[in-house]
Amino acid sequence: MIPFTLVTKNLAKHKLRFVLTVLSLAVAIFLLCVLRSLVVALNAGVADAAANRVIVQSRVSLFVQLPQSYGPKLAQVDGVECFARWNWFGGYYQDPSNFFAQFATDPKELFDVYPEIYLVEGSKADFLANRKACVVGAETAAKYGVRVGDTFPIIGALYPTADGSAWDFQVAGIYRSKKKSVDENTLFFHYEFLEKSLESGFASGPSGVGIFVLKVAPGFQPVEVMSEVDAMFENGPQVVQATSESEFQAQFVSMVGNVPLLVSSIGGGVMIAILLAVLNTMLMSAREQTRDIGVLKALGFTDGSVFGVLILQSFVLCGLGGLLGIVLAKMSEPAVVKGIGSMFPGYQVTNPTLLEAVGATAAIGFLAGIAPALRARALSVIDALRAVR
Amino acid sequence: MALVPLSYNLRSLAVRWSATLLTVFGIGATVAVLSGVLALQQGFETLFSESGREDVIVFLRQGATNEGDSVFSLERAQILMKTLPEIAVDEKGVPLVSAEMYLAVRRKKIDGGESYVPIRGVSPLSFDIYGDGVRIIEGRRLVGGADEVIVGKKLVNRIRDCQVGRTLTLNTTPFEVVGVFDSDGPFASEIWGDRNRIGEALERPVQSRIVAILKEGTDLAALAERMDSDPQVPSKVLTEREYLTSQTQALSFVLKGLGFFLALVMGTAAVFTATNTMLAALASRTYEIGILLALGYRPHAIFLSFLFEALVLGLAGGAVGCLMALPLNGVDTGAMNFQTFTEVAFAFRVTPQVMVTAVVFAVMLGLIGGTWPALRAASMRPTEAMRRV
Repeated sequence: MIPFTLVTKNLAKHKLRFVLTVLSLAVAIFLLCVLRSLVVALNAGVADAAANRVIVQSRVSLFVQLPQSYGPKLAQVDGVECFARWNWFGGYYQDPSNFFAQFATDPKELFDVYPEIYLVEGSKADFLANRKACVVGAETAAKYGVRVGDTFPIIGALYPTADGSAWDFQVAGIYRSKKKSVDENTLFFHYEFLEKSLESGFASGPSGVGIFVLKVAPGFQPVEVMSEVDAMFENGPQVVQATSESEFQAQFVSMVGNVPLLVSSIGGGVMIAILLAVLNTMLMSAREQTRDIGVLKALGFTDGSVFGVLILQSFVLCGLGGLLGIVLAKMSEPAVVKGIGSMFPGYQVTNPTLLEAVGATAAIGFLAGIAPALRARALSVIDALRAVR
Repeated sequence: MALVPLSYNLRSLAVRWSATLLTVFGIGATVAVLSGVLALQQGFETLFSESGREDVIVFLRQGATNEGDSVFSLERAQILMKTLPEIAVDEKGVPLVSAEMYLAVRRKKIDGGESYVPIRGVSPLSFDIYGDGVRIIEGRRLVGGADEVIVGKKLVNRIRDCQVGRTLTLNTTPFEVVGVFDSDGPFASEIWGDRNRIGEALERPVQSRIVAILKEGTDLAALAERMDSDPQVPSKVLTEREYLTSQTQALSFVLKGLGFFLALVMGTAAVFTATNTMLAALASRTYEIGILLALGYRPHAIFLSFLFEALVLGLAGGAVGCLMALPLNGVDTGAMNFQTFTEVAFAFRVTPQVMVTAVVFAVMLGLIGGTWPALRAASMRPTEAMRRV
């Protein structure tokens, strides 16, 4: 039998120490959750990739544009229902620090290939009708206060205009996405607008197509489409690489370098630091309770219940700290998304992350409590009662 | 003013050795994580900024922030190279100027996955310009006009087909690897080939930047201003050092931000731990404090005494943290240069600056954590303190 009131009473004896330990644990668990969520954010695009999309890019480099003439040839491939061209625009709003993604794309096909995109404001018809129109992700629209009907001037760093002015895009809609495969921080505008602007000399920059995104018709195998596309351009002029969407997204993850390793090293350091802190607290309070343990044992409590009193204190302490940390991480989610959402679209404190946090908390509780608890169990009544604080 | 002998504090720390050790290692782990992140940032920054020369100047397209963005047509590059009296000449009267083509290309890593490697198309004059900055350490220099490349030393063990004797295929053209070169800067992570051959293989008949050696005594600011509004080839002029330093900004910003965030969050937890330890130290020494006060030590002497003890804890934690981070020094790692999306290999650098930051940070943690307990110690009354056992 474990005297549970003793567990809480002992913890409450040194209120300040209790509060500080709980808070430092909360901070550490919060940090673990945030770090883990950053890795989740990096992988969000991979996890939510659609199986029926094939991405065609240059095999040499993502920075090499493919010829326009590839489009009609790709449309001939068996199983290709339709495709959207994507071209990186690389501009910014007013100042280079206001950087977000813009793509020139085929407006109608964009919605066909990406059914997860839907407009929350504005109309698709307006977007399709006006060549200068664009749709803006809800996050970006909120960040810069852009509304439907506004002109959104974007300076083309990669596509500078001849007179140095901005590209005036007209906002026809605000979109959201049902999946993380498309983030809500992007601006899409008409590929034709870019193409015509380059032809007319309004602006200069790389011509061609960044990537072709193919939609594979039901009943066809994406893998077969990929190998057919690869073979089609094997002898140039530009060799291509056709991949699934998840592979395409994964290349960005590997490009950023070994972030998971960096994050786990930091996480390891945090765990060690916090384990030492909780262990410190537990050892202190166990030492102070030596006499109480003697009394308990003299009263007839078994070694097992004494062990329980000590280890439960550790678990209660860590449980509270961990819970607080988890709540903190979950509550800070919108703020983090607002702050670094354009760098880490798809930042989300997921349930698996929370489960990991619970696991880490339990591990710390066990490791910090086991030594004092074992010592208490082994202590003889005489020694315990004789102990001086 | 009589101060409490410092040996009193040192002995007290030794008596409570388990709590002391746990606190020291807790602070140590915190400091080690921070030092690791800072050492990463230092390694990256040193690689770039310290290898750049002041007498080598770089021409970029106006508005371009890096050579990946910068484009000069072949004609414009020729005009620029032929019309500048500020460029130094070699003993035969040849101007030391060279156009370079730069592209990040996708290559397979030896241990799996892909990485973006910069490929640089150079001319024979490039080697004269960089001089000792580029040293062949295996094989030979590439011959102009041939389908040959030389590879940076950092690629040899990392990227597939980057070893002497191997063949590296770019788009559809095979290039033979004839040499390995070393460089103190980011060049050591690049592939170099003949400018025209690389341009043809990649179907990129453009140049990315122009490098030259400046005549001694030239006014760079005047040249930069003139080129900014040059009617034929408006361009941005900066020294190689300025250029390379500008390349580190994005990653340095991210790493410094991460370091600051970690320091703040983990530091909070470490301060709480230090407070706990000092409070426990205080609780077990109330009687002694009473004696000290009775002996005639003033409260502020007691305050300083306890603060000193906390300072020692912090200092020891800082030392332990540095020792833990020190093995990182010189360890090779890679990170992405966000400006060009290429992976650069470099080594962690635990510089004196990193260590000083770490120790100062640790001492601050100790002091902040010790202030409240020290204040409590100083406010005790001798009679009460001595009565408490």
